[in-house]
Amino acid sequence: MDWLTFGLERFVIVCIKDQQELPSIVSDWIGTAVVKIGPFLTAEQGLWLNYCAAVEDANPLYWRGSEETNFEPIAPPAMLPSWVIDHHWNPNPTHKPLRTLELHFMLKDEFDLPFGVVTEVELEFHRPVKAGDQLRAEQVLVDVGDEYQTRMGLGRRWTIAVHYYHADDALAGIQTLRFVSYRKEISS
Amino acid sequence: MSFEETLESSRTLNELLPELKIQLTKRMIIMGAVSSRDWQPIHHDTEYAREQAALPDIIMNNYSQAGWISRYVTDLLGANSRLGRLKFSMLSPLCPGDEAVFSGRVKSCEQSSGMRWLELLINIHVGERLATKAALRVAVAESGDGSSPWQCDPAQRKP
Repeated sequence: MDWLTFGLERFVIVCIKDQQELPSIVSDWIGTAVVKIGPFLTAEQGLWLNYCAAVEDANPLYWRGSEETNFEPIAPPAMLPSWVIDHHWNPNPTHKPLRTLELHFMLKDEFDLPFGVVTEVELEFHRPVKAGDQLRAEQVLVDVGDEYQTRMGLGRRWTIAVHYYHADDALAGIQTLRFVSYRKEISS
Repeated sequence: MSFEETLESSRTLNELLPELKIQLTKRMIIMGAVSSRDWQPIHHDTEYAREQAALPDIIMNNYSQAGWISRYVTDLLGANSRLGRLKFSMLSPLCPGDEAVFSGRVKSCEQSSGMRWLELLINIHVGERLATKAALRVAVAESGDGSSPWQCDPAQRKP
């Protein structure tokens, strides 16, 4: 993802202004599931074995299951967010694929901060994903920081938690992403 | 002494974990991005990565990094160990041609509901450069008749 780049710690705070008020639309989003997406596809072992091959993971839980999983293979937990990414193409020509983290883009638009990077990713794992599962996700705005001067230009930090649910509403996991977004300043 | 045997000993805390060295290839990085359904061009298009994103080459995406870290840890702790939590920061890119060196240590170990919860600190270096730092919370069964972290009461499992 273009916002998942690097050099994250370089965006240090140069100065912090006094506590600022957020636009009401944004303050209303805090603590709520602003974006709800999915399901887009059904989990299949053939899909997750491509991922296992990519990271050369021979864990038998993913390939054939074990007594621990009642001999039913499970998907690699680290792949959890991949199950709720819209297809890049759709047979319906009018369908516009949803952006993976729509809430992040909504915040970038709201604050006019076109560039963003992830500074930290946290995954918490609950009920495993098995073949046949269909997951959906809710994107919750956790917090938004004050505007401050990054090395690249004015920016803000925010945190988004994505809650992943099974079809019966059991929690599959939570992904928490911390961002810095900014607008580039034109040097004179 | 294997790492699993080391875990049984009292010498576990702060011991360095065995290193894993992976020579990264373009195919490996593209496979990781595609299989995790990440279509951003910085993960498969060298020209775009260099010219539009000012990167040295395509870079490994975060889902693949999570997969590699998970694989490193479960290879060490045993296939039946269960990840509860994985937190990581990407500080500099992982590109084709880099040799990624995984290392780490056990920061803490606590007993709970017939399981042991280990907190691990993992780094990925390329040479002297720190690319990624991670912290994990992983459950393993107690020796003997300990509870399986996969079959325990979800209410008792605190990732």
